[in-house]
Amino acid sequence: MSEDLIIGIAGAGGDGVVSAGESLITAAALEGYHGIMTKSFGSQIRGGEASCRLRLATRPVLNPNGPLDVAVALNWEDFQRFGWELPVESATIVVYESDTGVAPDRLPLEGVTPAVVFSVPISEMARKHAGTDKAKNIVVIGLLAGWFGIGRESMLAGIRKKFAGKGAAVAEGNARAFQAGLEFAGAHPIKEDRKLAAPEAGGHSKLLTDGNDMCAAAAIFAGCTFFAGYPITPSTEIMQFLDREIWKYGGTVLQAEDEIAGIGAVVGASFAGKKAMTATSGPGMSLKTEMLGLASIAELPLVCVNVQRGGPSTGMPTKAEQSDLFQAAFSAHGDCLRPVLAPTSVGDMFSVTVEAFNLAEYYQTPVIVLSDQEISQRKETVEPIDTSVFRLIERRRPTETELAKYARFKLTESGISPISHPGMAGGNYLAAGIEHNELGRPTASGEMHARMNEKRFRKFDPLKNRRDLFVVEGDPEAPIGLVSWGSVAGVAREALQLAQAEGLHAKLLVPKLLYPVAEPVYQDFFASVRRGLFIEQSFQGQLYRLVRMYVDVPAQVHLLARSGSNPIQPVEVLERLREMVLALQGNHNHRQPDPVAD
Amino acid sequence: MMTTLEPIPAGKYQPGDFKSDLKPIWCPGCGDFGVLTAITRALAAIGRPPHEIAFVSGIGCSSRIPGYTNAYGFNTVHGRALPIAQGIKLANPGLLVLVASGDGDGFSIGGGHVAHVVRRNIALTYIVMDNQIYGLTKGQLSPTSRRGRKTVTSNFGSLEDPVNPLLYVMGYGASFVAQGSPADMGGLARIIEEGIRFPGFAFINIQSPCMTYGEEEQQIKAQKAMMQSLEALGHDPANRALATERAGEYGTRLYTGILYRNPKPPPTYGQGVAERHVALRKQAVPRHEILNRFMPEN
Repeated sequence: MSEDLIIGIAGAGGDGVVSAGESLITAAALEGYHGIMTKSFGSQIRGGEASCRLRLATRPVLNPNGPLDVAVALNWEDFQRFGWELPVESATIVVYESDTGVAPDRLPLEGVTPAVVFSVPISEMARKHAGTDKAKNIVVIGLLAGWFGIGRESMLAGIRKKFAGKGAAVAEGNARAFQAGLEFAGAHPIKEDRKLAAPEAGGHSKLLTDGNDMCAAAAIFAGCTFFAGYPITPSTEIMQFLDREIWKYGGTVLQAEDEIAGIGAVVGASFAGKKAMTATSGPGMSLKTEMLGLASIAELPLVCVNVQRGGPSTGMPTKAEQSDLFQAAFSAHGDCLRPVLAPTSVGDMFSVTVEAFNLAEYYQTPVIVLSDQEISQRKETVEPIDTSVFRLIERRRPTETELAKYARFKLTESGISPISHPGMAGGNYLAAGIEHNELGRPTASGEMHARMNEKRFRKFDPLKNRRDLFVVEGDPEAPIGLVSWGSVAGVAREALQLAQAEGLHAKLLVPKLLYPVAEPVYQDFFASVRRGLFIEQSFQGQLYRLVRMYVDVPAQVHLLARSGSNPIQPVEVLERLREMVLALQGNHNHRQPDPVAD
Repeated sequence: MMTTLEPIPAGKYQPGDFKSDLKPIWCPGCGDFGVLTAITRALAAIGRPPHEIAFVSGIGCSSRIPGYTNAYGFNTVHGRALPIAQGIKLANPGLLVLVASGDGDGFSIGGGHVAHVVRRNIALTYIVMDNQIYGLTKGQLSPTSRRGRKTVTSNFGSLEDPVNPLLYVMGYGASFVAQGSPADMGGLARIIEEGIRFPGFAFINIQSPCMTYGEEEQQIKAQKAMMQSLEALGHDPANRALATERAGEYGTRLYTGILYRNPKPPPTYGQGVAERHVALRKQAVPRHEILNRFMPEN
C-alpha cells in the first residue's frame, strides 16, 4: 500500500475535470485523508483545456507537486498542453480515453514508456449508462475510486444528491456511470502496492477549502465589517466570499471602480472606526501604494491582502511567484514601515489573517498579507481549527480623561496614541496625509517631522521579538539551516522530511512575519548553523536580499531561487542539502567561519 | 460614543461653532474664505454636532478647508476624497459626510470617481471649489481652464477645451446639481444647506476665484456683474431637460442656485444596505463558527 498518491487529470474545458477532482478530494477529506488539489486552465475564459492535480496522503500533504502516480487523459492534445504540470514517469499508471484512437504502446509522451496503461472507453461508458457524454467525469471518478479505494459510498451519495434536482432518471444514470467505472477498475486490477493505504488511525473528517475563502472567513472571524476591492486574478474569490457573508454581520462589500478607490474606501471605513480589508494582486497592489502611505501617516488600521502572481506588470496572472516582497516591504514613498505577513498553507491563512487584523488594530497601521496564487486557489484539507485560542485585538480608544485634552497623535512612550473616530464626542481631529503635530495640525517643522517619524517606527519595536511568528522545524542541533516562506515553505518542509529519512541533519526556519526583519531571530538561527540556504520562488530571492539589509548573513548561507511557474521540487532542495553535508564533511579540518559577523 | 440621529433644535449652533482655530493659509481675498463661511453657516442651520460630521478633502488650496472646520476632518491624497468619503459613509451611515475638492482634484486626477459616486447615490455632499487654475502649485492649467488660456504650463495658450463639471455630473445622472459663488454669500449658504438636506448625493460647484492666478473675469467683481440667479429666472429645478441645457452654458453664463433637483430621487446606496442587513441578519452564524462553512459534503 502507498502512503501518498498523486493524480493528474486533463481534458477539454467542459469535461468536468476540476469537478471530478473536487469530488475525489471531498470524499478523501470526509474519510480523514490529507490532500491538496490544484487546478490549471488555458487562457480562454470558457472552454479551452483544463487540468487538476490531486495529492492525497495518509500524512499531512505539504506541497502539491511531484511526478504523477496516475495520469488521466480525456484527450491527448489537452493533456500535453500542461507539460511540466502533469509529469508522467515510467511508474505512472496512465488511463486514457479509447476514443482518441491512440494505441497503448504509442502514447504521445516523449521519452517515457509507462509500465501500466489502461485504454478505457470513457465516453462510450458515459453514453451507455447516463445517456450523455457529460458523465465522462463521473466514469473517471468511478475508475479512480475503484482502483484506489477512495470514498465509494460518499461519492455515490454525492452524485445522487448533485443530480437530484435534474430528476430521478438523470441521478440514476450518473450513479450507473459511476458504478461502471468501479466495475471496470474491478475487472482490470492494479497491483496492491499502488493502492492508497487507509487513513491514519483516528483519521477524522477535515475542513476543505482554499486560501482565498480561508482568508475571507478569517476576516469575518476577526470582526471585519468592511471590504472594498476590485476584481483581479487570483484574489477575487476573497471579495466573492465576503459578499456572500459579510452583510449578515451588518457589514458591507463595495466593488469599487478601481483599485485605488477600493483601498480608499477601506481607509475611510477604518477612519470611521471599523475593521476593514481589501485584497488584490500584482498590478492592483502597485496602484494601492499611495493609499498605504496615507494610512501609515494617518495611523489607520487596515489589512491589504496581495495574492502574488508572476510579474512584472500583467506578468502571469494564474501562476504563483514570490516576487512582491520588496514591493510589500517598501510600498509607498517616504520613510515608513508596514508589517508584512505570509501564510505557508491554506490552514495557515486563518491564523495569519487574524494576526494581520490584530497587528493592524494594535499598531494602527496597514498590514500586508502576502499570499500567493497557489495558496489562494488550491483546495486543501485542514485540521479543524480551535477558534477559542485566538484573542482579538481592538484599537486603543481614548478614555474620557484623554478626550478632555485630546491629542490624536500624542507622542507616547509606546508610540501608540489613542484613536477616536467620527461620532465620538470630544474626539474631533484632523486626519491627514500631511505631516502633523500631536493635535493633528499640519506642520512643516523638521523637528516635528523627525519626532513623528521616530514615533511611527518606534511603535513597531516589540514586533521584532514576536518569535511566535516564526517556526523552526527539524533537528534543533543541525549544522544546516534552511529558510523558506509562503507556499514554498511546504516544499522545504517536504525536503526536510526526505533529508531526515536519509539521516541528514537539517532544520528549517519559516518566517510568517517577513517585515520588519526580525534581526534577533535570524541572528540566532544563523549563529546556530554552519551552512544555510534560502529557498524562494522569485528570480532575485527577495527574502534572502531583504534579510541581508538588516542582518550580517554569514557567507556560507546561499540561495536557491527561481522565477515563478517552475515550482522548486523537494528533491532539488534535497540535492542541495546533500551537497551541503558533503561540504561540511570535507571542511571539518578547516577553521569554521564565524557564523555571524555581528 | 454613539452617533445620535435625533433632530437637533434649531438655533443650537452658531456658524462660529464650526470654525476651527487654525489660521487659513489662503491668499488674502481668496474665494475659499467665503466658501468656508457659507459652509459653517449651512452647518449651523442643519444643527448636527461637530463630532457627527466627517469632512473629507483631497489636495489643493480648497482641500485645506476641513482643517479650518470644527468636525472630524480628513485631508487625504490628491483626487481620492470621494472613495474615502464613501467608505466613511458606508461604515457609519449616521454621519453627515461632506467632501471638498477643487477643479483639478475633482475633475482631473480624481475625475474617474465622480461617475461612480453618482450612480451609487451615496448620500454625501460634494463641494467643488472651481477656480479654473492650479493655485497651490502656482498657476498651472486646470481641467476647467478655458481654451487659449496662457499659464506657466500653457505658455502659448491651452489647446484643450475645458471640462464642464455641471454637464458631466448631470450626464452621470446626479439628482442634485447646484452652482454658487461667494459673490452671493446668502445664496451659497442656502444651496449648501439644501445639498446637505437632499436625500442622496448632492453636487455643488462653486465659482471660487483665485486672487493670485485667476483671470479678471473670474474675480468677485466680474462675477457679481454676470451672475444670474436661477430662482430669479423662474427656473424649475425639477425640469431635467432645461437643467441640462443651462448646465451646457457653463463657461459662458454664470447661473447660481439649484440647477436640478430630482423630484423622485432613486434610493440611496445606504438604504439598500440597511434593507439587506435586516433581510440577512438572521442567516449569520456566530463568527467563531464561520469555519463550519468548510466542512466537506459530497
